[in-house]
Amino acid sequence: MNDFNKPFGVIVAGVGGQGAITVAQLILGACWRSGFYALQSEIHGMSQRGGAVSANIVFDQVPVTSPVVTSGEANLLISMEPLEALRYLPLMAMDAKIISATVPVVNIDNYPELSSIFDNLKKITGVTIVDTDDCAKKLNYKHAGNMCLLGASSKFLPISDEVWKRVIEERFKSKGDQIIEQNWSAFEFGKKLLEK
Amino acid sequence: MKISEREIMVLGDEAVSWGAIDSGMKSVYAYPGTPSTEIFEGIEHIVSSLDDGRIAKWTANEKVAYEMALGTSYTGHRALVCMKHVGLNVAMDAFMNSALTGIRGGFVVAVADDPSMHSSQNEQDSRYLADFAHLPCLEPSTPQEAYDYTCQAFEISEILGVPVMVRLVTRLSHSRGVITRKENMNLPECLGIPPEDTKNDWVLIPSIAKRRYRQLREKLPKMLTVSAQYNKTSISGHRLGVVTCGMGRAYFNQLCREYPALKEYNRLDVCSYPLSLTDIRKFIKSCEEIYVFEENYPYLEDKIRDMGQGKRVYGRRDKSLPMDGELNPIILKKCMELPLAESKKESEVVVPARPPRLCDGCGHRDAFNSMKDALKNIGVDEPRIFGDIGCYTLGVMPPFDMINTCVEMGASVGMTLGAAEAGLEPSIGVIGDSTFFHSGLPTLISMAKSKTANANLVIVDNKITGMTGQQPTVAIDIFEDIARSFGFSEEQIHVLKPLPQKHEENVKYLENVFSQKRPDIIIFRRECVQALRKKLYQKYYQK
Ligand code: SF4
Repeated sequence: MNDFNKPFGVIVAGVGGQGAITVAQLILGACWRSGFYALQSEIHGMSQRGGAVSANIVFDQVPVTSPVVTSGEANLLISMEPLEALRYLPLMAMDAKIISATVPVVNIDNYPELSSIFDNLKKITGVTIVDTDDCAKKLNYKHAGNMCLLGASSKFLPISDEVWKRVIEERFKSKGDQIIEQNWSAFEFGKKLLEK
Repeated sequence: MKISEREIMVLGDEAVSWGAIDSGMKSVYAYPGTPSTEIFEGIEHIVSSLDDGRIAKWTANEKVAYEMALGTSYTGHRALVCMKHVGLNVAMDAFMNSALTGIRGGFVVAVADDPSMHSSQNEQDSRYLADFAHLPCLEPSTPQEAYDYTCQAFEISEILGVPVMVRLVTRLSHSRGVITRKENMNLPECLGIPPEDTKNDWVLIPSIAKRRYRQLREKLPKMLTVSAQYNKTSISGHRLGVVTCGMGRAYFNQLCREYPALKEYNRLDVCSYPLSLTDIRKFIKSCEEIYVFEENYPYLEDKIRDMGQGKRVYGRRDKSLPMDGELNPIILKKCMELPLAESKKESEVVVPARPPRLCDGCGHRDAFNSMKDALKNIGVDEPRIFGDIGCYTLGVMPPFDMINTCVEMGASVGMTLGAAEAGLEPSIGVIGDSTFFHSGLPTLISMAKSKTANANLVIVDNKITGMTGQQPTVAIDIFEDIARSFGFSEEQIHVLKPLPQKHEENVKYLENVFSQKRPDIIIFRRECVQALRKKLYQKYYQK
């Protein structure tokens, strides 16, 4: 298990428009509700137009003043996109966990061969690849991917199901019970992937 | 979020919003600009559920916003104006002179700087401008301080009788964390208009301005006293000292968690300006070597180096820190020679940059495509196009390669005209509707008068401020009327729809327009697809 007696760094990465910031906010809210001090840094503005986007979260038992994760000190990376997972490797601690989605966003001409990205990811210790496309199909919910990733990553975070449920409910309550239910199922589905 | 909640999770920008609300601010005016936009948006959101007569309005530009806020202050109400760093350049005239007029109701200028230029053309440091205007400036380092300092800035403003700047940087503006709001929220109160004996203090004719300027300078000792309450010196007797402010302070404090030995250093924490030189001198005396961590110009560092009594000062000037760009904990660690943690191996696959791009289906794409083909067809294979600030600046990238300048808001209009008068044919500028209202409008008057210049102003009109998250534009559907009233004839005004199926038609049309030796206005009009998706047009314009 991870050591939560020192600052714990999380990076949520993706491409502008994928919802990385939303996922990060759920984690931040969950840390807060679980009694941690937490701070998050987000990217707003120009990069949100389809560029590389990431949010950093640092949480700790004592007040946090820097929302920026230092090189080699990020403990968990959640990437909504496989190429983006590779981008943040130099920030990841040796024993860091990485959860990456499978579905690529190919909006640049020089996007590398997808198989080479997965080959590279599989070589790294601590990597879990979540077939987000498959999750969406199985759950019959096209936006299931992000919540599955969050569910999978919850294995590495000191947050109870009760708290997760609460923050997911708060986030989606304006969209109605059905959306809350779909997102919670996706979260649980993702969580189970790592229990197998 | 309920108004009554005291512990809330907000962005640094929104902490400023709450500070203003809880301080009884009556009005906020602003022009959107990353990273400051969310200050206004935070207030707008809160105000929409308050129903206590508060005002939150976007304006045409920062100068207008500043002046409207100053008018609010004149009536005795508290006012906030917010902008990004380069917005303060636009509001500079009002800003400088408001130091002389002074204020009536508390007046706070929230300015967000953008070190590393995440979404800006430069990384100017607003502290110099506060200094230049002889005005106080508070600099928070966490969302909680952003809240607290905003509340206090209103008080200080009324105590000193001057506007007070609250300076943020991107990293704080866009940091999200928990703040605790004060227990007693002030309701908007009104001090009334300036009384008889001071009613002419705001008339800056030489006889009065001279007096007001002297009075401003005479406030310096009082400003120093107020400011000193925020700045903390602690001398431990260590040989090393560190001067921190803003995010430099935040990062250093965080490193103290990892390296408790850093807590032993002598410290000068700067949270407020002006800064007492006596305090700096005393601090320098207590150390053998000094680190200076500040965002982002070497403002304090230069003072410390000048007064440094030959001591070693680690900072940007001696390259211990990079000369440009924002700080981060790694930079601080390297500067203090702290070990970096081991990290995972870099990817073997080359990870290409993923720069921002125009959204799929954005009308700017079609506008650029048809302009490009039209120019090619009239023999201009390597066009040079004057750009401006907005999503369409991304037209600089392939496959368009259709933007060659981006200087400041509105520059495209003047540059197009200047280049046309110097003989560039055809001279073409591209500007968005919001940027045009911000700073392009006056130049259009000159363009109308310049009868024979082949100046072509392309207004990519999506009736929204796209780039900053789609805020409403001050006016819509009036470009044709404006152009007519300035003296453009019907044949000089063109409205096109940027759509793929209109490509050929638009290309043909533009070939003709670009070949005419006269000024032309080409309006490419189509909604922003993001704003459409969010149904913002109904929300803004069909009330
Ligand atoms: S936000 Fe709107 S204006 Fe900007 S690129 Fe996207 S569609 Fe175009």
